[in-house]
Amino acid sequence: MVSNSSPARQQILQKFQNCTDLTHRTFPEIGVDLFYFGHMVGSIELARDVIEPLSNVTADEVPALFQRSQFKKAEQIQQAVKGILDGNAVVCHRNEAYIVFVYMPDYRNIESSETESVITGPHDAFVEISAMNLSLLRRRVKSSNLKVLCISVGEISKTDVYIIYLAGITHMDSVNEMKRRIENIKVDSILDSNMLVQYIDDHPNSIFPQFQTTERPDAAAARLSAGKVLVIVDGSPSVISGPSNFFEFFSSPDDYYHRWAIGTATRVLRFIALVITMAFTAFYVSITTFHYEMVPEALLLTLVESRSRVPFPPLIEALLMEVTIELLREAGARLPSKIGQTIGIVGGIVIGQAAVQAGITSNVLIIAVSASAISSFVIPMYVMSASIRLIRFGLIILAGTLGNFGIIIGICAVVIHLSGLTSLRSSYLFPIAPIRFRDWKDSIIRAPFSMLTNRPFQTKSPDRKKQK
Amino acid sequence: MREKLHPFHAAVLIYMTQMGVVLFSLPREIAETYGYNGWIMLLVHALAVQVNILLIGLVFKLGSGKSIFDIMERPLPKWLCYPVYAFLICLWSLIGCLAAKNYVMIFQILAFPNMHPMMLKALLDVLAFFLICRGIYSISKAATAFFWLIVWMLLLLLFHIHEFEWSRMTTFFLQEASHFNIQSTVGIHSSFLGYELSLLLLPYMEKNKSFTKAISAGHWFTTFHYLAISIVCFGFFSFQQLKHFLFPTVNLLSYIELAFVERLENLFFAFFLITNLWTIVMYIWAAKTTFLRIMPKAKPKWLTFILLAVAYAIAWIPVSYDEVERWLYLMGFFETGVAVALPLLLLILLQLGKGGNRRVQI
Repeated sequence: MVSNSSPARQQILQKFQNCTDLTHRTFPEIGVDLFYFGHMVGSIELARDVIEPLSNVTADEVPALFQRSQFKKAEQIQQAVKGILDGNAVVCHRNEAYIVFVYMPDYRNIESSETESVITGPHDAFVEISAMNLSLLRRRVKSSNLKVLCISVGEISKTDVYIIYLAGITHMDSVNEMKRRIENIKVDSILDSNMLVQYIDDHPNSIFPQFQTTERPDAAAARLSAGKVLVIVDGSPSVISGPSNFFEFFSSPDDYYHRWAIGTATRVLRFIALVITMAFTAFYVSITTFHYEMVPEALLLTLVESRSRVPFPPLIEALLMEVTIELLREAGARLPSKIGQTIGIVGGIVIGQAAVQAGITSNVLIIAVSASAISSFVIPMYVMSASIRLIRFGLIILAGTLGNFGIIIGICAVVIHLSGLTSLRSSYLFPIAPIRFRDWKDSIIRAPFSMLTNRPFQTKSPDRKKQK
Repeated sequence: MREKLHPFHAAVLIYMTQMGVVLFSLPREIAETYGYNGWIMLLVHALAVQVNILLIGLVFKLGSGKSIFDIMERPLPKWLCYPVYAFLICLWSLIGCLAAKNYVMIFQILAFPNMHPMMLKALLDVLAFFLICRGIYSISKAATAFFWLIVWMLLLLLFHIHEFEWSRMTTFFLQEASHFNIQSTVGIHSSFLGYELSLLLLPYMEKNKSFTKAISAGHWFTTFHYLAISIVCFGFFSFQQLKHFLFPTVNLLSYIELAFVERLENLFFAFFLITNLWTIVMYIWAAKTTFLRIMPKAKPKWLTFILLAVAYAIAWIPVSYDEVERWLYLMGFFETGVAVALPLLLLILLQLGKGGNRRVQI
């Protein structure tokens, strides 16, 4: 029997004192100790790459065994500890430790995304395992130019964050800037990419999201080939991409899977939805508070009749209904899907007939509020939709106090704010400001593929031509 | 390296600065000043402005893109320049604040008779403050974004095609003018003002050759907008009606009816807050930039705040719409003089003092 009381073994045991989930196996006949977390390693990989080889060698053959490629020598004990924490197996022999990659935790199966549902196009979505997400990307971008950098973020969580780019297509300034920002994050733990994105935003206090996130690998691959930088956070199914602009939040990968005319019409519809969701209720409040002359005679009677039983001023009435809608939306999102449907029915009755019959609100306002709510769900990116909904409240208050003048003041304030925003140091209002007419055909509309020959100017790609 | 202005942005900036609330009364002013088919005289004014723009372009070319302050201070002592700067600061600040007051007073007449106009003006000033603090590049970017919110309104003129009749134009040209005098001519000419601020954009421009073209493009788009509105007004209303309306463009817009909404003029008028905002922003920005030349160590944000605050206080003095109009006419008169005299002065200084270093031939 060969004794093993190496310092490496002792230090690992000391580091993981009271960690009952750590598995410690010994091979006394060859003087080898094996450490791993059973819940993080793949049993087949462990048996094939570690247990089986260690079981079939003699003490003299052990040094030769560690020459095999799967055994990576740890230069320092911290490396070995990190290896165990990363879900690998660590083998200690004499004074040396070797890391074997056997990380294969249980994960959610690849399913379609719930937040970015799709009608046409691929249905697979990213999962919480970064290796799987990288695999989903590599399956779509089969190029050796697809480069992956890894940075560990979080003092405690040590979350692996991957920066992905296409060499020769992505501008290296964007990659370096993204890397610098991620390296500068000083935080205990990063648990999701939507959390990380708030640390790397150009303007963290802005209400608007400055980086797109997606759960769809096809969307991520498209952004990669457009010259953008992707960021995958281990443990998160959302992939960050940048630089982004305001108009990209109104496009969906579906636009490219439909005929161009339908894709364009859908995109225009989303911009109309943006206007409706932002200003429709505010416009109702403005008209019924200050500008009754704007209502046509035929409609005036209906409106006045509808408003006659409501004891509140239009501003309070609208805020009441908007808050109710938001409560229903939030309740629907938090509850399990089966109960969520009930909330929809109850809400429909409450904000529909009951509220009108009780004289709390008018029929016309219900139409306005519902149209605003439906329009907000047309916006494909949930983060953007949430921002717009919040702005709506501001506009309603301004409309209730200053009428049409207030609405325009509010819109001005929003556009002024937007014009000052940047994403990875490039303008957020691109391609409107700075102006780039050529890029309108892939942001404002969705032109035929034969016309989409260039990568967006915003990414500053060194290889501007998409199709040669 | 400082960001440079794209020619398109410069053009939009000039258009947004030139366009103002005068658009709403311009058809009446033209009818009163020049009589039947007076809109044709807009082209004469536009050509005069174009000559002025060419002078500014010459300053840019000979001065190799140097700022007007550098050009002035090279041959002249500072004590001689500072009074000129002080005059410009006062003039530009006053134009900025009075343009805002004029707008809110009209809005008060149209929609908010009970609200104090200075409260509405305060809101405009707050927006202006945030924009000016961002610097000229952001101002131009925001101007481009707002340009698209304004420019579509030209399409509204299509609503008037059915009622438009060429016969209303009559066969008379420039007859039966009721107020043809220097005052009203200067009043119409001052509706083009704003282009002269391009003098301050010289150091920010991207391509030397495009400068004059960009400023001209912005100016001619303004002219096109003014012409389109004026022609439609002359063909939509009778000549007597046109002279009778205080704001014919507002009356024109009030004819637009949609299925669910009508009398849209006050909504559209509210949209013109945007162009008015740019008039304020650009004039106060110009005043601030000049002020910074006198006090280079002052904080730009504080200077902007002080200029807006002082201008706001002064804006309390004129109480009625007529008073504001009279003040604006006076300022417009001075500014027209500045628009012509300043480029000429700079050209003389460039020649005499060799202020502009000609480009080294390589």
